[in-house]
Amino acid sequence: MTAPSVGEKWVDAPFRRFLDDARIKCGVVLLSTGRVIAQYGFAGPDDVMSVCALASAINASSRELGKQLDGKPFGELHHAGGERQLYMGSFRVGGSEYLFVGVFDAESSVGLVEMYFGDFCRSLEESWKASAPEALPQGDFEGDLNRSLDALFGPLE
Amino acid sequence: MTPFTETLRHLGRLPGVIVAMTAGAKDGLIIEQSGSSAGGDASSQRHTAALAAFLYAKSGRASAAAGLGEPVFMRLEADRGQLCVVGCGEVVLLALIESSANVGRVRLDMLTARSAL
Repeated sequence: MTAPSVGEKWVDAPFRRFLDDARIKCGVVLLSTGRVIAQYGFAGPDDVMSVCALASAINASSRELGKQLDGKPFGELHHAGGERQLYMGSFRVGGSEYLFVGVFDAESSVGLVEMYFGDFCRSLEESWKASAPEALPQGDFEGDLNRSLDALFGPLE
Repeated sequence: MTPFTETLRHLGRLPGVIVAMTAGAKDGLIIEQSGSSAGGDASSQRHTAALAAFLYAKSGRASAAAGLGEPVFMRLEADRGQLCVVGCGEVVLLALIESSANVGRVRLDMLTARSAL
């Protein structure tokens, strides 16, 4: 298993702590536009690119579904598979919307992941305020995604 | 109304019981609890349930590794109270009690509820 790679310094410590506390097997933090901020457990940029594209699409459709059913977007999504489970949550820091997608197994539980995700969001908020980073550029999905994958895995040959 | 409603109502009425809850043994999510506003805010109750279910699962593995079989009753004694957990298959029954509460009575009632369920 590879070590976490993080593109933004203010995300680094909270992300590592969250992975450890919630026993996440693999996970990714991205801007809702698709730019990858941090990843852990993925073999290469292709896997991360697929997850980011799917996460952005799922987020967009579940937001709309939530609005139609409940008048407000759904905040979290949990899929319980046979061996592994998927958790997806969104949060806002510094005026930008972020998504987290993580996979866990029987070593953890959705209750634990949900709980530590709340702590993770609070830590990010504090870390962002303390480090006062520059505003992240929000451009096109493909351009953002490629730039962030290059930063995390190195440019393609 | 679930099969646990009456059990939780009964446990919640015992002296020194702050809150009684049932949660999923695997997911740690609250199924039902005694009194909506008892035992702190909803967030801390969710955290308690998730961690208690996780701890109970781990203690089950420790018990099995030690050759002791299935755990029957788990009690965590802390500075300002105690946490009691009993497993009922897919569900864990947990009670958050004050330090001064009658643990024997709580234990007996939780084990009786386990047998009944």
